[in-house]
Amino acid sequence: MSSVSDGILEFGDINFFYERGTPFIKDMSFSIGNGEFIGLLGANGSGKSTILKLASGLLNASAGDVSLWGKPIVSYKNKDRAKLLSYLPQVLDINIPYTVKELVGMGLYPYDIMPELTVDDALEMVGLQEKAGALITNLSGGERRRVYIAMTLLQGAGLLLLDEPLANLDIKYQIELLRLLKKLREKRGITVVMALHEINIALQFDRIMLIKEGAVIGNGTPDIIMTEGSIKKAFDVDVDIMRESSGEVYIKY
Amino acid sequence: MKIKLILITIIAAIIFALALFVGPKPINPFNINGIDKEILFSIRLPRVLVSIFMGMALGASGAVLQGILRNPLADPYILGISSGAALTAAFGIIMGLTVFGSVTIPLLAFIGALITGVFVGAMGWKRGGFWPERLLLAGVGLGFLFSAMLMLLMSISSDEGLRRATLWIFGDLSLADWPVLPYGFIFITAGLIVAMTRARALNALMLGDDLAHSLGFSPRKERFILFISVGFMTAASVSLGGMIGFIGLLVPHIGRFIVGSDNRVLIPISALGGGVLLCISDLIGKSIISPTELPAGIITAVIGAPYFLYLLRRKDVLSF
Repeated sequence: MSSVSDGILEFGDINFFYERGTPFIKDMSFSIGNGEFIGLLGANGSGKSTILKLASGLLNASAGDVSLWGKPIVSYKNKDRAKLLSYLPQVLDINIPYTVKELVGMGLYPYDIMPELTVDDALEMVGLQEKAGALITNLSGGERRRVYIAMTLLQGAGLLLLDEPLANLDIKYQIELLRLLKKLREKRGITVVMALHEINIALQFDRIMLIKEGAVIGNGTPDIIMTEGSIKKAFDVDVDIMRESSGEVYIKY
Repeated sequence: MKIKLILITIIAAIIFALALFVGPKPINPFNINGIDKEILFSIRLPRVLVSIFMGMALGASGAVLQGILRNPLADPYILGISSGAALTAAFGIIMGLTVFGSVTIPLLAFIGALITGVFVGAMGWKRGGFWPERLLLAGVGLGFLFSAMLMLLMSISSDEGLRRATLWIFGDLSLADWPVLPYGFIFITAGLIVAMTRARALNALMLGDDLAHSLGFSPRKERFILFISVGFMTAASVSLGGMIGFIGLLVPHIGRFIVGSDNRVLIPISALGGGVLLCISDLIGKSIISPTELPAGIITAVIGAPYFLYLLRRKDVLSF
């Protein structure tokens, strides 16, 4: 298990129970350092979303501590936490006819003094500046997701916890979003933790945490983690890892 | 947006002025004699103020409730608060209670509304917070129970008591009088201020609890505060003049068609719209076949519903 001394997000022996009985998350410990680009990879129901909810403070651990920048997450005031961390859930089934601009603008709610990033900047980042006045209810599923991503970016937090943000996105926007996040990491030093289940996408990350049945069963760079054996273990499926002479890696299934 | 707001405020001011000076006996504001003064201050002003406050409370409560329950069909009466108020008020009317003079019935209605609100809140509370679906179902369930009890009470009451209780239930603004106004004013103004200062939280709550949390709000705390504000506004409104339909349900939707869904604008607009609609409805109700008065609640629906349906047809999007 990798250990980063300047961890901004740390799980210390976390256990979490949805119901009495067996824990859903079992004795989980890990540390995420500043500026890391981390993919949580695992099958449906493996616990990825629960890990993100625990990390965002939305769920409280049944045992153990979640720390944010060295302090227990529960010790932060809601508004202060929101300036450090933003969480985008997987399900966004919202039918309130906010305009794109109104919704993205909510990213500024934690602030009393407005940060330098504006709604227009955030919309430009996701390529939706032309839709600023449109109603969110009139957008496609992929466009809606980009609007929420713009809101999350506008929130300006250093740590982004994104639950399957690439779902419903065309391949073009999947690639653009990954590029944008990497660019933001370079420019602003943000840290990204993203839940995903698409194994080829996982190759884009600095570090992969492979999740199965509420436990981390692999943690390291894609080179180390993305092996036929570990994917079989996590997803119960046979794949071929192809390594081109150019160094490119892709997974065939 | 600013022009729309200014326009709506001007229309509201004109209607409030009209309600004071137009009526079964028109009053010339530039030539007021002693009788006019008496009519203006003893009858019309309290009645206009009651209609404004009631309408404001219902419009704003509807907007807030549709938000916290995330249900476009929610209105202040869906929580059963009004049924509780109606039951205690009808009991007072039928029994001829006058312990506290003219404020007896409003006071009884207020107490009934608050007790019901606490009950619904307790039923909707689980694991440290309100659950929107539980609140809604608890309100509907209690509403049915109280309505049944009310019907039982009315079926065994005298004709005169029955007539007066029925009038009150339909919304009878002719009972408006100065002594009840300060209570209504305090609770409705306080509720409105709380709702308006929590409008950003309500916007976030409408995105779902997960996103509201991420944006720095405590969904449980915010829902609790907003529920309390709606409870007081509805209780005060029902106690001022009975139950007025339509406003709490449809004025917020009309507001969304006109100014959009941002609650920072929608709550004040729904309040203003509710006040205007009830004020003008009462003016029409008492003037159209004078001296017979039509209950304002009937007029609000007769004016409001066609306008709502017109907007529904014209706009290319449903408001929720």
